[in-house]
Amino acid sequence: MAEKNDVSQKTEAKPAPILIQMGIFAAVLFISSLISPLFPVSFPVPTPVIGLVLLYLLLTLHIVKVEWVEQFANLMISLIAFLFVPSGIQLTASLNIMKAQGIQLVAVIVISTVILLVVVSLVTTFFIKIKKDVFHSNVDIDE
Amino acid sequence: MQDTIITYLGTPIFGIFLSIVVFLIGQWLFKISHGFFLFQPLFVGMVLGIFVLWLMAKAFGVDVTWFYTNAYKPGGDIIFWFLNPATIAFAVPLYKRNDIVKRFWLEILLSLIIGVLISLFLIYWVAKLFGLDNSGIASMLPQAATTAVAMPISTAIGGNAAITAMACIVNAVLIYALGGWLIKVFHLKDEIGIGLGLGTAGHTVGSAKALQLGSIPGSMASISVVIISIVIDLVVPTFAHLMGVVK
Repeated sequence: MAEKNDVSQKTEAKPAPILIQMGIFAAVLFISSLISPLFPVSFPVPTPVIGLVLLYLLLTLHIVKVEWVEQFANLMISLIAFLFVPSGIQLTASLNIMKAQGIQLVAVIVISTVILLVVVSLVTTFFIKIKKDVFHSNVDIDE
Repeated sequence: MQDTIITYLGTPIFGIFLSIVVFLIGQWLFKISHGFFLFQPLFVGMVLGIFVLWLMAKAFGVDVTWFYTNAYKPGGDIIFWFLNPATIAFAVPLYKRNDIVKRFWLEILLSLIIGVLISLFLIYWVAKLFGLDNSGIASMLPQAATTAVAMPISTAIGGNAAITAMACIVNAVLIYALGGWLIKVFHLKDEIGIGLGLGTAGHTVGSAKALQLGSIPGSMASISVVIISIVIDLVVPTFAHLMGVVK
């Protein structure tokens, strides 16, 4: 097993053909779409979130090799801003809501966005500082 | 008139074509303005797309929402669907930084749970301060989760799912356009924290932003999208009951 890993690190792994990569994504997505309805209505776990966990587990357990999915994954991630354009344009349907409750809603959403980013980030810094100062763990990170 | 519109614009190609054109215009503006933040391709595409639809609806003399649903949505939905595989794709950057996940899993988990709890209190008070009613507050609380989680939770606690969806979308667009600037303004330095913050506030789009900053923020944002969905599922209904948002 160790020998195998050495080999894969030395030789540049060849990516799988793009159709195979898409096939793996399709399979993960399909299985996830079967799992998602099993969750109760009050505890929704959407298909893509299950799919993310599923593909992550497949990679971590070395059932799927990273070179089998990496190219297509990078392509999808590079397109994400574009893929989100229809969601943005969907706000056309909310124009009436904005007219009714208007500026307060938008203000609360904008402030909430900043709150979520800053609070989560600072809380993390705090917990990592505790790990370092209280438990004297090494928190240096390799780039 | 409505029949004519459905015949000529009711096929998916109009929505797909419009999405590509407005996004490309956004990319072009971003390039010639040397990266001016208001000209983020996603932001320009969104504003321009809404404007074009509004203009066309006015020109044809039909309701804007009707025009959006019948002319744009068939094509928009096809592009929108690809957010599914795009979300799954974040398993790869996450896997590549498994070293960080293994060393910091406890800190990641605690930070996301405590961070969301504190944020919920702050969002609640801000919403109160701006005079939102209970339905408005309920719509604001689940916004840290992805749309597919946030909308049903919002409905369950008496919120308006459409407003919650709007919040999730605005989160993502804002983080994509202003994420880098906000990190500077608030002096956020810790790479793990930046990643978790961008993923929580900006969802999948925030994760794409985080990946541009490095492999560690990218992987941390990816993991936060998953964990936040579950945290919001578990915490928000209880929080809403405790704070009297829902009776």
